[in-house]
Amino acid sequence: MENGATAGTINRPAGKQASLTQPLLQVQDLHTHFFTESGTVKAVNGVSFELQRGERLAVVGESGSGKSAMAMSLIQLIAYPGKLVSGSIRLDGKELVGLGEPELNKLRGSAIGTVFQDPMSSLDPVMRVEDQMIQPIRMHLKLGQKEARKHAVDLLTRVGIPDADNRISAYPFEMSGGMRQRVMIAMALSCRPKLILADEPTTALDVTIQAQIVELLKTMTETTGSAMMFITHDLGLVARFAQKVAVMYAGKIVESGTVGEIFSSPKHPYTQSLLKTIPSVSGEKRRRLLQIQGLPPDMKLHITGCSYKERCPAASERCYTDAPELMPREGGQSAACWLKNGLMTEGYESITTLLSQGEKPEAKEGWNRIPLNGSVSEQPDSPGDDNVVLRITDLHKHFKKASLLPWKKGAEIRAVGGISLKLQRGETMGIVGESGCGKSTTARMLLGLDEPTSGRIEINGSIQIVFQDPYSSFNPKMKISDIIAEPLHVRKIGTKEERLRRVRELIKKVGLDLSYLSRYPSQLSGGQRQRVGVARALALDPSIVVADEPTSALDVSVRAQIINLLCDLKEEMGLSFVFISHDLSTVRYISDTIAVMYLGEIVEYGPAEEIFVHPAHPYTKALLAAVPVPDPMIEGERTIEQLRGELPSPANPPAGCAFSSRCPHVTAKCTERKPPLRGYLERREVACHAVS
Amino acid sequence: MLSYAMKRIMQLIVTMFGVVTLVFFAIRMIPGDPAAAMAGDNLSGAALEEFRRKLGLDAPLWEQYADYLLSVIRFDFGSTITTSLPIAGLMLKALPITLMVAGFTMLLAVLIAIPLGTVAAFLANKGKKKLDNAITWTAMIVDLMPAFWTALLLMLFLSLNLKLLPASGAVSFEDPSLMLKRIALPVVVLAVSQVATLARITRTAVLEVLNEDYVRTARSMGMSEMVVVFRHALKNAMLPIITIVGLSFGNLLNGTVIVEFIFSIPGIGTLLVYGINSRDYPLVQNVILFYAFVFVAINFITDMVYKKVDPRVQF
Repeated sequence: MENGATAGTINRPAGKQASLTQPLLQVQDLHTHFFTESGTVKAVNGVSFELQRGERLAVVGESGSGKSAMAMSLIQLIAYPGKLVSGSIRLDGKELVGLGEPELNKLRGSAIGTVFQDPMSSLDPVMRVEDQMIQPIRMHLKLGQKEARKHAVDLLTRVGIPDADNRISAYPFEMSGGMRQRVMIAMALSCRPKLILADEPTTALDVTIQAQIVELLKTMTETTGSAMMFITHDLGLVARFAQKVAVMYAGKIVESGTVGEIFSSPKHPYTQSLLKTIPSVSGEKRRRLLQIQGLPPDMKLHITGCSYKERCPAASERCYTDAPELMPREGGQSAACWLKNGLMTEGYESITTLLSQGEKPEAKEGWNRIPLNGSVSEQPDSPGDDNVVLRITDLHKHFKKASLLPWKKGAEIRAVGGISLKLQRGETMGIVGESGCGKSTTARMLLGLDEPTSGRIEINGSIQIVFQDPYSSFNPKMKISDIIAEPLHVRKIGTKEERLRRVRELIKKVGLDLSYLSRYPSQLSGGQRQRVGVARALALDPSIVVADEPTSALDVSVRAQIINLLCDLKEEMGLSFVFISHDLSTVRYISDTIAVMYLGEIVEYGPAEEIFVHPAHPYTKALLAAVPVPDPMIEGERTIEQLRGELPSPANPPAGCAFSSRCPHVTAKCTERKPPLRGYLERREVACHAVS
Repeated sequence: MLSYAMKRIMQLIVTMFGVVTLVFFAIRMIPGDPAAAMAGDNLSGAALEEFRRKLGLDAPLWEQYADYLLSVIRFDFGSTITTSLPIAGLMLKALPITLMVAGFTMLLAVLIAIPLGTVAAFLANKGKKKLDNAITWTAMIVDLMPAFWTALLLMLFLSLNLKLLPASGAVSFEDPSLMLKRIALPVVVLAVSQVATLARITRTAVLEVLNEDYVRTARSMGMSEMVVVFRHALKNAMLPIITIVGLSFGNLLNGTVIVEFIFSIPGIGTLLVYGINSRDYPLVQNVILFYAFVFVAINFITDMVYKKVDPRVQF
C-alpha cells in the first residue's frame, strides 16, 4: 500500500536506537485499588511483567480478575474511586507512575493507543468520525487540519473502510459495529503508538466480523511494529493471536509464558482447569465439560495464602498460609503454585478426571410431577402420537415500518423469511447465525411474544424460555422464591404450599441450595442467577425450553456449569431444547441437530456432529473457520478463508441466494436464482447451488 | 431537516386547533351567563339582551365557535370589554417587555447554570465530593425559595437598603439604560430559581455522560480534561438540558405573571392580572391563547435545536 509510509510505519528518531535492547514495557509490582464505600477492592494486587517490542501479549482471566483495571492502570485512566496505589510502569525506560496529567496526555493516544470492547458505545455519538479522529492527530503529530484529515483517511483505508474519504464524515450511528471497531483501531493507531492496549476488542462482535478484526489487528501490529497487550476471556482468540500469555486471577498474574507453553503444558491449576472447561468446535467431542468449583474470592477481603486455594483440587495446608509467588519454570514460563506442575504433578492426575464429572446433581430420585390442576403442560402420552414436540411450517415474520408522511413508502424488513423445522422429544436443536439473522425473532414467535406474519407453529405441550442476560431478566425487588413461583402464580396453579414445594424442588434441581430462596437477585453471581432462570423456565413443566444465548453473558468457568446443567436436565426430564447462540462451540456441545440461519432463512440443517465435521454450505464453513480453536498448533496451521464484508441489510437482501454477496464461490447462477433447501446426504438439508 | 420541520409544523397546527377549541368551550363552561358576569351589575333586562347580541352570545353555540375560529385565523382578537381597546394592540405592546424579561432571564440562567452544573459534575466525577456537595446543596436550597419571597428579599436589599436598582416603575423602550435597570431586578428574581433547577439538571446530565465509554475513549487519546468535558461531555449532555430549558421557558412565563405584578411591569402578565380582576373575558381568553401558543412554539424550537445537536434524532 502506497500510503503505508505516511500512515503507519514507525519513523522514530535515530537517537532512540540505543535503547532497543531493553523491553518496551516493564511493569513492577503494580497495585490498583478501588476505595468503595463498602471496602477497598484490590483489583490489581501486585502485577509484574515485561513486554518486548512488537510482541503480542494476551491477558486472560475471568471478569473481576483485574485485567481491565490493570490495562487502564498502564495509561492511568482509572475511574473514581479507583487509584493506582503503588508500583512502577516503565515505557521505553521512562517511568510513567507519578507523571502529571499533561505529560500523561502526551503519551495517551500517541505512545500508547487503546481499543475498547464495545464499539457501539466507545465513539462519541454526536460527533462526526473525522472530528473525533483529527483532533488527537493534530495534537500529537503536530499536523495541520488538512494533513491530519489526509492521515486519518489513509488510516481508515488501511483498516479496511471502503470509500474512507466520504465515510470519515459519517456519524458513528451510521456505521455497523464492525466498521466502528475499525474506526476505533484506526484511532488507536493514528499517532504511531509503540504499544496498543486492546480490551476485549472483539467480544461485542459477530464471529465472522471478529475473525476480520483479529486478522486486522494482527497485520497492523506486524506492519507497524507496535506491541500489543490484548485482554480477553476467549482462549481460542489467545491461541489464534497471541505470542505470550499472562493468566490473571484475583488481581495477580498466576501464570505466564509463550502461547505454546501455556496451551501445551500449563502449570497452574487454574490455567489447567480453564483449558478443560471450554467446549471445542473441532476435534473430538468431550463427554462432559469440566467445571471449576466455587467462585473467585471477594476482592474486598484480605486473602491469606493462595487466592485460588478454595477452588483448587490440589490445595494443601501450605496454600492456606503461604501465598506462592510467580516462580520460573522451564523455558520462559512461570507460575504461582507450590506444585511444580500444578494438577499434573504426580499423584494428582486423577483429580482432573474426577473433576470432569462435575457436580452432577445428587438428586437422582426422579422428577416428581405435581398434579397441576388446569395445567397447560399435560401432554398427550398416547404412544400412537409421534414424538414431535414442535413443528414449524413456513414461518415468516416481516416488520413493516410505516412512514408518517403519506407520500413516502414504508420499508419492509423480512426478519424471518420462511423456515420449517421439526423438533423431537428429548432432542436439542441449535439455531446458529450472526446477529440479525432472525434467530431471536424466531424464538420470540415460538413463545408467542411476536405474531408470525404467516406460517404455522405447532407445539405439543408448552414452551418456556431462559433469557440471555441473567442480570437484567429478573425483577430486582423480588425474592428468588417469588421469581421461580411467578409462572405458577400467573397460571393460578396449586395452593401456596404446593407452589412452595414445587419451588424447593426446582431450586434443588438446578443445583442451588434452599437458602437461596430468600435472597434477592443482586446477591447472586451470574451463574447462580442463570440457574434461577432455568428453574423459572421449568416451573410450568414445559415440554420445550427455548434458551436464547443463555451462556453468552457468563464467564468461561461458569459457562461450563450451565451447559452441564442443561445437558443433565435434558437427559433426566426428557426435555427438548431450542438452543439459540452465536457461540458455535457451545451449540455443538449441547445440540443434536443444528439449523444454520442466514438473513432469516435456514441455509443448512442436520445432525450437529455431521455439520461440524463436514459442513456443506459455504456460510457454515466460513462460520466454523471464523471460530478460533483454543490450540495454537491448530491455529498456526489453519489458513482462514475469511468472509468478505458484513451481513447485508435484511431490508434490502441480495437478489438470488442471500449469501451471494459474501460467498467465496459465487457464480452468476447464485445472483439470479435462490437455491432451495434441498436434501443432502442422508439426513441433511442444504440451500446451495454448488452442493448436491 | 426540512421534512422533519414540516412534520413538526403539521403537529403544531393540530395542537393549536385543540387549544383554541379548549379555550372556547372552557370559557363557556363557566356557570352562569357570561354576558351578565361580564357586565356585572351595570346592565339588566333589554340592555343586557342588547349587550348579549353585541357579544354574539345569542347565536347557536356552533355558530359562535365557527365565528371564533375564523376570527382567530384572521388574527382578529376583538376588543376588551372594559376599555374597548383592541386586544391585539394591547398584547403587542406588552409582549416585547415580557419576552425581554423572559429572554434575559433564560440567558442569565443558562450562562450561570450550565458552567456551574458542569463544574459540579466534573468534581463529582473526580471524587471531590465536598465541593460538589456544596454546589448541589446550595442549588437545592435556592430552588426551594418561592419567587415572590426572593423578589421581596432582593427588593429589600438591592433597592431599599443599597439603593442600587429601582424597585418598580414604568418601562419604555425610549430610554434603554433605564429600562434595563428597571427589568434587572425581576430578571434576577426569575433567574435565581431557574439557575438552581438548571444547574442540578446539568450536573446530573454531564455526570452521566462522563461515565460513558466514549469519554474514556477521548481520555485514552490524550485529550485534556477541558476538551473532554466541554467538547464531548457537555455536547452530549446538551440533549436533556435543551429539553429542560424549553420546558422551563414555559414555567418562566408563569413566573413572569407574579413577578411583573410585584414589580409593576406592564407585560403580558400584568395584562392578564388586569383582565382577571376586571372580569374581562375576551382579554383573558386571548392572553391564555397567547400563552398556549408560546408553549407550543417553544416546543417546536426545542425539537429543532434537538435535531440539530443530535444527528440520531429521527421522526
